[in-house]
Amino acid sequence: MGKKTELLQGTLDMLVLQTLRLGAAHGYTIAKVIEQRSDAFLQVEQGSLYPALNRLEDRGWIDSYWATSENNRRARYYRLTPKGRRQLQVETQQWAQLARAIALVMRPVEE
Amino acid sequence: MRRFFRRGQLDAERAREMQAHLDHYVDDLIAAGDSRDHALREARRRFGNPTAIREEIYDMNSVPVFEPIVRDLRYAFRMLRKTPAFTVIALVTLAVGIGVNTAIFTVVNALLLKPLPFPEPERLATILTVSTSDRGTFKRPQGLDGATFLALRDNATTLDVAVQGSGGWGVGVNMVAQNVAANVRQSRVSANYFKVLGIAPFMGREFSGDEDRPGGPAVAMLSDRLWTNVFARDPNIIGSAIELRGEPYTVVGVMPAGFNAGYEADLWTPVRSSATGEGGGTNYALYARLRPGVSWDRATVEVSHLASPEMAKQFNKDTNVQCWLMPLQIAETGGLRQPLYMLWGAVGLVLLIACVNVAGLLIARSGLRAREIATRMALGSGRRAVIRQLLVESAVLALAGGAAGVGVGWAVLQELKDLSVDVFSFGYPVTLDGRVLALTMVLALGTSVLFGLVPALQASRVDVQGTLAEGGTRSVAGGRGRRARQLLVVGEVALGVVLLVSAGLLIRTFLHLRGLNPGFDPSSVTTATISLQDKRYEDAVRVRRLFDDTLAELRRQPGIEAAGVTLGLPYTRLLNVGFGRVEGATEQDKGGMTNMSYITPGYVEALRIPIRMGRSFSDTDTTDAAPVAIVNDRFVQRYYKDQDIVGKHIRIANAVREVVGVIGNARATASGLGGDSSPLIEPYAVYVPAAQMPAGSFKQFHVWFSPSWVVRSSLPLGTMSENVRRAVRSVDPLLPVARIDTMGSVQDAALSSQRFTMALVAGLGIVALLLAAIGIHGLISSSVSERTRELGIRLALGASNRQILQDIVVQGVVLAGIGVAVGSAGALAAVRLLESFLWGVRPTDPATFAAVIVTLLAVALIASLLPALRVLRLDPALTLRAE
Repeated sequence: MGKKTELLQGTLDMLVLQTLRLGAAHGYTIAKVIEQRSDAFLQVEQGSLYPALNRLEDRGWIDSYWATSENNRRARYYRLTPKGRRQLQVETQQWAQLARAIALVMRPVEE
Repeated sequence: MRRFFRRGQLDAERAREMQAHLDHYVDDLIAAGDSRDHALREARRRFGNPTAIREEIYDMNSVPVFEPIVRDLRYAFRMLRKTPAFTVIALVTLAVGIGVNTAIFTVVNALLLKPLPFPEPERLATILTVSTSDRGTFKRPQGLDGATFLALRDNATTLDVAVQGSGGWGVGVNMVAQNVAANVRQSRVSANYFKVLGIAPFMGREFSGDEDRPGGPAVAMLSDRLWTNVFARDPNIIGSAIELRGEPYTVVGVMPAGFNAGYEADLWTPVRSSATGEGGGTNYALYARLRPGVSWDRATVEVSHLASPEMAKQFNKDTNVQCWLMPLQIAETGGLRQPLYMLWGAVGLVLLIACVNVAGLLIARSGLRAREIATRMALGSGRRAVIRQLLVESAVLALAGGAAGVGVGWAVLQELKDLSVDVFSFGYPVTLDGRVLALTMVLALGTSVLFGLVPALQASRVDVQGTLAEGGTRSVAGGRGRRARQLLVVGEVALGVVLLVSAGLLIRTFLHLRGLNPGFDPSSVTTATISLQDKRYEDAVRVRRLFDDTLAELRRQPGIEAAGVTLGLPYTRLLNVGFGRVEGATEQDKGGMTNMSYITPGYVEALRIPIRMGRSFSDTDTTDAAPVAIVNDRFVQRYYKDQDIVGKHIRIANAVREVVGVIGNARATASGLGGDSSPLIEPYAVYVPAAQMPAGSFKQFHVWFSPSWVVRSSLPLGTMSENVRRAVRSVDPLLPVARIDTMGSVQDAALSSQRFTMALVAGLGIVALLLAAIGIHGLISSSVSERTRELGIRLALGASNRQILQDIVVQGVVLAGIGVAVGSAGALAAVRLLESFLWGVRPTDPATFAAVIVTLLAVALIASLLPALRVLRLDPALTLRAE
């Protein structure tokens, strides 16, 4: 049971887009992948994924279709649109800059 | 934004999706060895609250501006459903108000606003003459005489001109083509007529100058409909021969489909323009088109130079004549323009009154809703939101009313068209179109603001604290507009009285005329009219043979009791001729004018006109037999009062004839003879056997009158129609029957103009009655809701329901009484204008006045009683406890 970590505002969108770069996935898979790839550190409240998916789809970064899942259930699959792919590039870049900046600020202070 | 409209569907999908998510999670947990129960709990815990998430998404997909309006709309529908009586009354009021406006505007639009269906219609003109003499100045669109037309045609440099001949009485003309006979409507036009209008023939050409002169070649142009119906769109029609009125014509052109010059025509022939004959009088209708680049001023100057001196010859020497150009559309609709605009104004007023009524209803209702509104404002709803809510409600009402109004308008229009068929022709198609619908929408939305804003503003001004504390009865802001609304109600009732009295008198006139004894038995009589203005029937022998043979053929058929032919049917206009006395003729009294008709044996019997004395005609009254005549009762009264006329002689139809019988009076329409100017008269008439008519008289009479066959049989019209056609065909297969109808229809047609006026005024009267009732209802309703508390107290103090009811109802009835008094005075003045339309009823007919007054007071009583009954549902205890 990992502790609940507040995600930085806006980062969930980026994580979802990044997850979908590996291929189309339905909501549960997306949540699971985010959890696993963060070594179970990022445990989103899984439901909160859906407003994000709604928003991303509305912006045209992802689109969705219904298909049968590996468990033989009907599930809604999401995939990146070309527009989403470009957006992910922008966000990845921005994130890298931000992370680097934070890392610079947070480096050990030599006294 | 696009997700906004699909939110419901998207939400359901989202729910399914989340369920799938949970299912997958559970699958995984169970696979990892969890129990089902635990897995379910764990999945839900990690997922969060699905409903809350769905709501979050739902809100994400909504649009902030739309959201409240959708809520308002939903609320508005709920409120309107909750008060069905109010909703229905308001909708009916609006539907009627908007509906009559739609109908009248459709007519205005089609006739006055839509450009004529020709290219560059604004450059089409006709001529207006202004004649000034001692008798005054007269300004009117004028028929032209031939000399004026020829002067314009040959000399004008600013205009191209053409004319159309006058004519087209009664039935059409006979056409025979490819061995098919048809009765067609003919129009006679000059060369260049179609060029001036700007519509080229679809095939062939129009008339040349050589064809448009006296004695010119006989040529014809066909309408698309005639070409289709009779010639099956034969592409080689040009050059074909057809027969018109028994004379050969050559087809030179076909007009395109949809060509409409404002009148019904199947074919055109050259008018053979001339300064003499028809052209000797002002019988030509002029059409002119300004040449390119010519201004109206220049053309007008030329017309006054060319046309005025010629036209002046048509007038007395002391009359000064000035000719002007006038735009064609204005001239064509000149007579209609003013009455139509007046009617439009009147129905506009009706709509305004309807709006005020609905506003009154809304005020009354907002009184009832004061508490609800106060509650909403207390709960933090802004004044703006309350006004918006109320306006949305009235907009919903108005749009629904507008939609219903289009329906009402359409129905009114159909009725108007049906009624006017025999009265006048609209000329151009009168249809609901985009412009009309747009106006209706604007009307609907405009009215919603008009009747919605005031009540909304008033309602939103309620004193929140006061209303809630007092139970929502005191705070209605109704006092100020009250006097005005009372006046309005009085006005509505007064208007209702005037219109209903007028309608009542017209209805009584109509019933009187319809109930008049026709003087014969019109039931089971079929009439058929045939045009004999035909080269083949100029010869009297042929006409007589046609009559004899068709009648013989008809009498051979089973189920036919009697048959005959007449020149003039009853309930139509008869021919006027002079007659001379033989016995008892004096220098002062040699004879006089009378109505006359030729008839065959069997006519009197077919109509069952009673024979008073002597006999009717028989087959022995032949050409060679002694000349005879029959007269009717009125003739005897008028010229041979108290004398035994049978056996006496009169000089009529080129012979001295012995009067062999007297028959009853068969009614006819006014012909200028026969005493009063009533639409239906008992004419004094002389009947002459068709067999004894002088040789040339048929040709002369048949230009103006077409003979009719009358057949008595109990067989239905459809069968009879076929029987008559077959009989005529067996004698002359190329003679078309122009019109077949029952005698009853002929009678109806004689009263069509009375029926039209009656229906129009009665319709307006009913609308006025409806509006008055709704006005009273609204006023009493709001008065009741304002006084709820007072009435409650009085009930609690022991006042009986009856007393309270009386108290409320009296208000409405008193207002109605004032309105009735004012309206009756108005009606007494108005019926003077109506006098010349009334027959068989005095303008001050007490029964009509009494019936209208009683009706209005009864309606006022009911309209006041309905809202007053609400008081009975008041619970005095509740009303008081709210204090």
